[in-house]
Amino acid sequence: MFLTRSEYDRGVNTFSPEGRLFQVEYALEAIKLGSTSIGIQCEEGVVLVVEKRLTSTLLEPSSIQKVVEIDYHLICAMSGLTADSRTIIDHARIETQNHRFNYDEPMGIESTVQSICDLALRFGENRKDGEERMSRPFGVALLIAGVDERGPQLYHSDPSGTFTQYHAKAIGAGSEGAQTTLQEKYSKTLSLQETIQLALTTLKQVMEEAVTTTNVELAVISKKEKKYKIYNKEELEAVIATLGQ
Amino acid sequence: MMMDDLKLTALPEKEVPISHHRFEPYVDNGGTVLAVAGSNYCIVAGDTRMSDGGYGIQTRHYTKVFKLTDKCVIATSGMQADTIALRKRLDTQLRQYERDHGKSMSTPAIAQFLSNTLYHKRFFPFYTFNLVAGVDEDGIGCVWTYDAVGSHERVRFSSQGSGNQLIQPLLDNQVGKFNQQIVDGPRELSAEQALSLVKDAITSAGERDIYTGDFADIVTIDQKGVHFEKFDLKLD
Repeated sequence: MFLTRSEYDRGVNTFSPEGRLFQVEYALEAIKLGSTSIGIQCEEGVVLVVEKRLTSTLLEPSSIQKVVEIDYHLICAMSGLTADSRTIIDHARIETQNHRFNYDEPMGIESTVQSICDLALRFGENRKDGEERMSRPFGVALLIAGVDERGPQLYHSDPSGTFTQYHAKAIGAGSEGAQTTLQEKYSKTLSLQETIQLALTTLKQVMEEAVTTTNVELAVISKKEKKYKIYNKEELEAVIATLGQ
Repeated sequence: MMMDDLKLTALPEKEVPISHHRFEPYVDNGGTVLAVAGSNYCIVAGDTRMSDGGYGIQTRHYTKVFKLTDKCVIATSGMQADTIALRKRLDTQLRQYERDHGKSMSTPAIAQFLSNTLYHKRFFPFYTFNLVAGVDEDGIGCVWTYDAVGSHERVRFSSQGSGNQLIQPLLDNQVGKFNQQIVDGPRELSAEQALSLVKDAITSAGERDIYTGDFADIVTIDQKGVHFEKFDLKLD
């Protein structure tokens, strides 16, 4: 197995005889090393929760941000090589602002995700002098949550440039366990409050440490307000308290 | 005889008027368009005369109102060639948007987009005077009025083109009901009233404005879609 791989796993634009792109597959592996992120969509909105790995007590928790704004109506959570996400987020922010400039309306969720995936696919392109070149696929997967005229939506995008819509999706190190839990517990009739509870309890199960206000991030985007909200310390504390047992 | 006597004086230099044939990029083909919006309808009218910039008529059947989507039309007066170029640009971009975003562009989005399109040619503008009219996402009638370089405003009614000066004050009075303290009945016109007013307005413009006449396209836009009808104007 390693013998066949070693020949074909160098170039990002060379298929192996079995029809695989190893660099892309390795990038997908990088995500499985990342911290867990969970997204759940319900009738009233979308919820994103992310685990923050605090590797040292001397680390400043607020310097890690894993749920970021793309636009008022669009947020994203990430897992994997989070540094790579900066390029993607920058791109998405420009796209959504451009859309507002051109059409005086917020950009659709699916079209934004599509434009993110267009960028993720550029690793195979040969660029001319002066043009920015991508050396490798992005090592990050995103959960993109937003609300538009089609209602609340949750998308997952990965380094291969594929995107899929989900009702509930977990990515990162604890994704397998979390996805199984979501499969069992998810129901289309969940209220926004119940969805937040489900997201946090699911994350709690797969986390090694106990859930605190510093090692998780919670963001909600509701259908009613069409604007995201990232929970602050006090609000998060109130939600964690209701988990109790 | 002295040779000196035969000396001829040079003729004065003749001043020949120099005529450069300058490139004239613009022709005003005239024409009038107007639109009136209500809470659930929008009525647009435009004549179909195309003048040569003077007394001549190039065609009596040039339609100035163009359907962009099921909820939106654009009505343009000014230069016919620029109108067609602008229309083509909008049409391709609208199709592109439809494929990119999986829906047709809303009327307010078209309004903003047209403004940008016009401003992109700020220093060699399209010689066009536009109205964007239709219903928005909530089914409410709306009209946007433009200048040639994209300055725009959402209004309840407006007119553009060669008959503008004749029509706008009529609309101000009959649709806007400005400076009227006592108004008989509801302030907003019904679709039927607006339709009949619009027909009278464009007929009136045709009485005095030599660039307006022949026929009129009367367009009704509501939740059901865009409906065109023809209406006769003076042919002289």
